[in-house]
Amino acid sequence: MYPAQIGYYKPQNVGEALEFMEGNDAKILAGGQSLIPMLKLRILKPKYLVDIGELAELSFIKEGEETTIGSTTKHWELASKRISGLEIIQNAASKVGDVQVRNVGTVGGSLSNADPSSDYPAVFTALDATMIIRSRRGLREEKAEDFFKGPFTTSLDPSEILERVKVKALKGYKQVYKKIVRRAGDYALVGLALAIKIDSGMVKDARIAFTGVGDKPYRSREAENEIKDTKLTDSDISKAVEASVKGINPPSDSRGSSNYRKEVMKRLLKNSLEEMRNAS
Amino acid sequence: MKVKVNGVEYEDEVEPRTLLVDFLRDNLNLTGTKIGCDTTTCGACTVLVNGRSVKSCTMLAIQANGKEILTIEGLSSDSKLNPIQQAFKDNFALQCGYCTAGMIVQAHFILSHERDLSEEKVRDMIHGNICRCTGYQNIVNAILDASRRMRA
Repeated sequence: MYPAQIGYYKPQNVGEALEFMEGNDAKILAGGQSLIPMLKLRILKPKYLVDIGELAELSFIKEGEETTIGSTTKHWELASKRISGLEIIQNAASKVGDVQVRNVGTVGGSLSNADPSSDYPAVFTALDATMIIRSRRGLREEKAEDFFKGPFTTSLDPSEILERVKVKALKGYKQVYKKIVRRAGDYALVGLALAIKIDSGMVKDARIAFTGVGDKPYRSREAENEIKDTKLTDSDISKAVEASVKGINPPSDSRGSSNYRKEVMKRLLKNSLEEMRNAS
Repeated sequence: MKVKVNGVEYEDEVEPRTLLVDFLRDNLNLTGTKIGCDTTTCGACTVLVNGRSVKSCTMLAIQANGKEILTIEGLSSDSKLNPIQQAFKDNFALQCGYCTAGMIVQAHFILSHERDLSEEKVRDMIHGNICRCTGYQNIVNAILDASRRMRA
């Protein structure tokens, strides 16, 4: 199906994009892998598209103590780059959509779209990432956890662009992103972003965040606390697993019931923690 | 907009809402590229844009402005099948044929980016292409066969 009639503006830089968006009913187009399907279904009918997909100033991966990733960096670029201390990003990027989607889709587009079942929001929440947002008023920063407000809703207002994401390296952490799907190419039924630091047999830090289980990424601090300063024995793991589903009531839909999702969360966390323990 | 498709330059005016797949089929008459699901799922509309495979039902034609596109029509020359097409033929890797153009273009992308192909890798990399005849086994065989032929 064709999108409704729409205007198209291609700015030369971020400044021009922001200027155009002020006072215009405009949507930012980066890779379009979420936006174009919504335009085709006419769920969205903005007056204009502002195509930032080819702005070189927004496409970069700068490694360091803190790594910054430009918002129009494509999934395949992240999937082909191992960032020391942030291996989970490569891991998650290689599981987004399919090859064709990863060739076009962008990290900033996925984060701004905030699909409650998408992969990056849980990962960047687990990483305690900082979103750097630009508008004509200047820059503001926001923690990933506060950035996601609900289904397809972030703290971005229509005059703002997510410019880059800043993440501190988790050196010495075992980290993994796993997702369970019923069919190849599906969005996650449940996804888990997990990072733990084990030092001389003790868990020093833990990050546990799920996707697909609520209207935004779900970070389970209860589960994290159950394994911090433990030796990750079977009983520590089962306490964390039980804690991980407290305080969350996953949705029921065609992909699985609420209870089924809870079982998947538990199994996923249990297996992943056991794997990490056994590998250390 | 200006694009180079299969080595030929074209210049045309398009509405911003025109999808790349419709531009290729309706404006340029390159009907080898198919529209299947029209929802970014099935991969029948796969083409290469600047060397990377994309689903042309989920890209605006204007996003391809200034870029190089390769469609199934650009894979062979002088009516001779390209090694991937020959491998699909020899391995009986098509039944109704509707997914085939997208499969072959995606296979072309895979083979130009991955040297060590395993069956698992091929299956992972074509998971954005759906064959509703479910003829995956022969498709995977064909891609592995093409990989051997192209290395030989």
